[in-house]
Amino acid sequence: MSHHIPGQPVTAVVQRVEIQKLRQGDNLILGFSIGGGIDQEPEHNPFSEDKTDKGIYVTRITPGGPAEKADLRIGDKIMQVNGWDMTVVTHDQARKRLTNKKEGVVRLLVTRKSLEEAVKHSMGNGPKQ
Amino acid sequence: MPAEVKQEQSPSNATSLAMMQEPQEVVEETVTIEEDPGTPTSHVSVVTSDDGTTRRTETKDMSTNVKVTKMVKTVTTRTVRQVPLGPDGLPMPEGSSPLGSYTDSIDRRYMKNGGDRFITPQATSTLTRSYNNSYNDSYGETPESQYIRHYGLHDGYADLTDNYGSLSRGVNFRPPRYPYLPNSYRPENSYTLPIRKDDYGHVAQPQVPMGSSTVDLNRSQPERFQPEPYGLEDDRRSLGPEEEEPYELEPDYSTANRRTLQGANRGRTHREPLRDGPRVRGYPDDPIEAELIDERHPYIHGIYSAPLAQPERGSMASLDRMGGRRSPSIDSIRKDPRWRDPDLPEVIAMLGHPIDPVKSNAAAYLQHLCYENDKIKKDVRQLKGIPVLVGLLDHPKSEVHRKACGALRNISYGKDNDNKVAIKNCDGIPALVRLLRKTNDMEVRELITGTLWNLSSYEPLKMVIINHGMQTLTNEVIIPHSGWEHEPNEDSKPRDAEWTTVFKNTSGCLRNVSSDGAEARRRLRECEGLVDALLHALQSAVGKKDMDNKSVENCVCIMRNLSYHVHKEVPGAEKFQDPSALQAPGSAGPQRKKKDDAGCFGGKKAKGRKNGENDKNYDTLDLPKRAEPSKGFELLYQPEVVRLYLSLLTESQNYNTLEAAAGALQNLSAGQWTWSNYIRATARKEKGLPILVELLRSDSDKVVRAVAIALRNLSIDRRNKDLIGSYAMRDLVSNLPSGQQRPAKNLEEDTVVAILNTIHEIVTDSSENARSLIQAQAIEKLVAINRTSQSARETKAASHVLQTVWSYKELRNALTKDGWNKSHFQPTVTATPKATKNGKPGYDDTTLPLMEKNQGTRKCGSGDMIPMDELGPDGYSTIDQRDKDCKYKAGDGTVDLTEREPLKNDTNRKHYIRSNRPAVSLVDACDVKPQPVDSWV
Repeated sequence: MSHHIPGQPVTAVVQRVEIQKLRQGDNLILGFSIGGGIDQEPEHNPFSEDKTDKGIYVTRITPGGPAEKADLRIGDKIMQVNGWDMTVVTHDQARKRLTNKKEGVVRLLVTRKSLEEAVKHSMGNGPKQ
Repeated sequence: MPAEVKQEQSPSNATSLAMMQEPQEVVEETVTIEEDPGTPTSHVSVVTSDDGTTRRTETKDMSTNVKVTKMVKTVTTRTVRQVPLGPDGLPMPEGSSPLGSYTDSIDRRYMKNGGDRFITPQATSTLTRSYNNSYNDSYGETPESQYIRHYGLHDGYADLTDNYGSLSRGVNFRPPRYPYLPNSYRPENSYTLPIRKDDYGHVAQPQVPMGSSTVDLNRSQPERFQPEPYGLEDDRRSLGPEEEEPYELEPDYSTANRRTLQGANRGRTHREPLRDGPRVRGYPDDPIEAELIDERHPYIHGIYSAPLAQPERGSMASLDRMGGRRSPSIDSIRKDPRWRDPDLPEVIAMLGHPIDPVKSNAAAYLQHLCYENDKIKKDVRQLKGIPVLVGLLDHPKSEVHRKACGALRNISYGKDNDNKVAIKNCDGIPALVRLLRKTNDMEVRELITGTLWNLSSYEPLKMVIINHGMQTLTNEVIIPHSGWEHEPNEDSKPRDAEWTTVFKNTSGCLRNVSSDGAEARRRLRECEGLVDALLHALQSAVGKKDMDNKSVENCVCIMRNLSYHVHKEVPGAEKFQDPSALQAPGSAGPQRKKKDDAGCFGGKKAKGRKNGENDKNYDTLDLPKRAEPSKGFELLYQPEVVRLYLSLLTESQNYNTLEAAAGALQNLSAGQWTWSNYIRATARKEKGLPILVELLRSDSDKVVRAVAIALRNLSIDRRNKDLIGSYAMRDLVSNLPSGQQRPAKNLEEDTVVAILNTIHEIVTDSSENARSLIQAQAIEKLVAINRTSQSARETKAASHVLQTVWSYKELRNALTKDGWNKSHFQPTVTATPKATKNGKPGYDDTTLPLMEKNQGTRKCGSGDMIPMDELGPDGYSTIDQRDKDCKYKAGDGTVDLTEREPLKNDTNRKHYIRSNRPAVSLVDACDVKPQPVDSWV
């Protein structure tokens, strides 16, 4: 997942995560935060394995929030948002894509290390962030 | 930041020269920033014990380079809830209601909020929360800090795996339903220590059972959790109430709980979060300790096979943060009967344990304990723990030397210089350098360079670092990360600098040592590849328009320091001395003046210099032709650097960088040698004057001061003097206070004095400029300062200017018409006594006011190193003791700030900038953070 080269087909074990936004006042909240983007310094991303990966990662999750309920996890790399590619976008583009006020639901395609590992070794190995 | 700029001002002519300090150079800065490495270290160790508890330890550096160690314990058991838990989350021995006390406190808090009751399994909340905390820590600060932390965190995870491998015992595969817990840890590899039972009985030390969750939940016990150390206030920006909620762990655990929790939290107002954030943060738990203990009591662990869910949270926290402060009663409440924290001697003894993981855990624990706890650092030193840690630097296992290094970094951080000396005394500096050469592990490199950065803040260690580490730091870090190549490969394009943490730490270290006086400067200048690489890095920064970061700041500061006294200190400097310098540059001026005025000061927009046409003819000065490209220290003073500094001055938003770049120009334009002539002319030809003048409007005191002094030095060149007199006078004058009230900017005394001295320089020998001064409405301000300023130095400087103005007989007429008379231009009665303070009451030389030189008031500082603190910006006058003390104090304080929060510099600085000129873009820019590093959605 982390060795994705922009422009190349991505091979990754992905999981679909559908998050129903929560309305709070005027805001629609997803309950997580993202880091990364092609305009960010990828080496500072604590979640990526490949330190050149400029993808969008889930950095924090609000406890009890919509993202948590949908089983999104910290460290997940977001591959797509409602079908839009998120592997080669700026941080802000990703943010905007996620926070589109017209959409009450976002469907994410995420990949995470544990998924890959789970596939590899079925059991016995704990997922690692 | 303690920057110390030193400067010497320049005299306009030989006479004054003799009395003044040297030529003016200016700035050398010593920055002593001890930053802890900005590295974040997060070590996460996971230990899985039989009871199914997973503990994680992390050490983090807070943004500011502080490290926090956190330990989180996670429970893998699913039965957690069924076991009665004590308040601390441990199963209750007595079988009393598990949630009793816990609930109480929770209730208390939540009820207030009108929330529902919230009963969450502690374990769960702990985990989550801690987890959450750690992220909070890492995020939300300025980007830089975040990065740091993240990085560490990341590494930390990685560590887990390797280190614990052999001992690992438990397997924690978490079913999907436990999303949070498991992923973060890698249980498989961990080794488990038996949980110790208590020989310590219930009296044992507080294990701080409740850990972080408690922290959050129990507001009733604030003592335990003090936000400050961890206070990353910045975090708040993104925290909404919801975000603050403690993590909830498992979804399965009852949604009801969760909902409740949420509800409760939601009830919280926004202000709350602010407090919580930091509080939470701190508290991680600490596994290591538990592990350690466990190890000692192998037999015990069976006992807890039940869900030990919660545990640990805070044990370390309490220890570490509170030191002796916590209240006993609380302790007793939370005491965990089964565990106790190992005491410091035990931990130090464990550093010598035959089992490597024990060593590394002990070191990690020490690191954690030392975080922000000066007392513990001192105790470690007194218990002779430092030599042991230093010894571990040579340990072959990366886990061991890494953790030892982490502990040393924390120990080396802070004001207690004895700790630094202790590291040096057991040859810690060469050991660190040796490890730097050996390791490729980025985290270790960050720790090493961070430690060295810390050590470099203490004067006596600077030379030691130079002796042992300078070339290695340059070869291993500065050169490779700067992108500079000795032999550029024709085919490949030049590489850009990489602003890594390692580079930042290393440049910070070199920045500190570069202020250690002439010898240090000489060594650094002659350090092979250093100047070349720094210059390359800065050019790369300019090229990429990435000039606001700390690494750039460090590089510019080093360049500035190394530029100090180049005309006297570089080998062969005597060949370039220009005896006629005092006149030469000036004499060239007049006839050309008309020609290029417009060009040079063609409006404020001149920034986007289009140098094309004028570039070729350097006025009257022909730049020497060089047979081969200059290299090494020669690069410091080649006229080409002017453009670099001007680019920084134009583009950077970082005040320290601006100050340093202006300081570099100041230093380079100070000397009386051929190169400074070129520099002064080049600054003009590169249209640097308008750039500098524009910066006079900066809201940063330091920037204004450095720029003012640079202008003063540049005006040694006659043409520059004419131009500056014509175009800069208004901006200079506008920075002056009007008498006692300090209007617009309220600049510091030093800055005001610097400006006055610059004005003095400009009006000396130029009645035209004196006329401009009058036209800029300056007389009124000068008279007011002269008469009413509370500052003797300001009074004196203003008085000098007035006397000079009055000395132009041709102007008296005009002055008289404006209502001024001779008495306004003479030292005032009040001024005299003030002046007396500094020694000489009289001003015998009216035409060329002579400023007294430093009269031995310099108390601190040694020899050559003239940290900025020592000389007033004006260079002529003495800084009185009071000032100096203040400065030093301020310096220290700043240092500290810097250390902790390098990132926040800009923000902090605002406090100092008492300005209300919103118009200045520089300031605003500081508020604009480049990019969100992480955004809530």
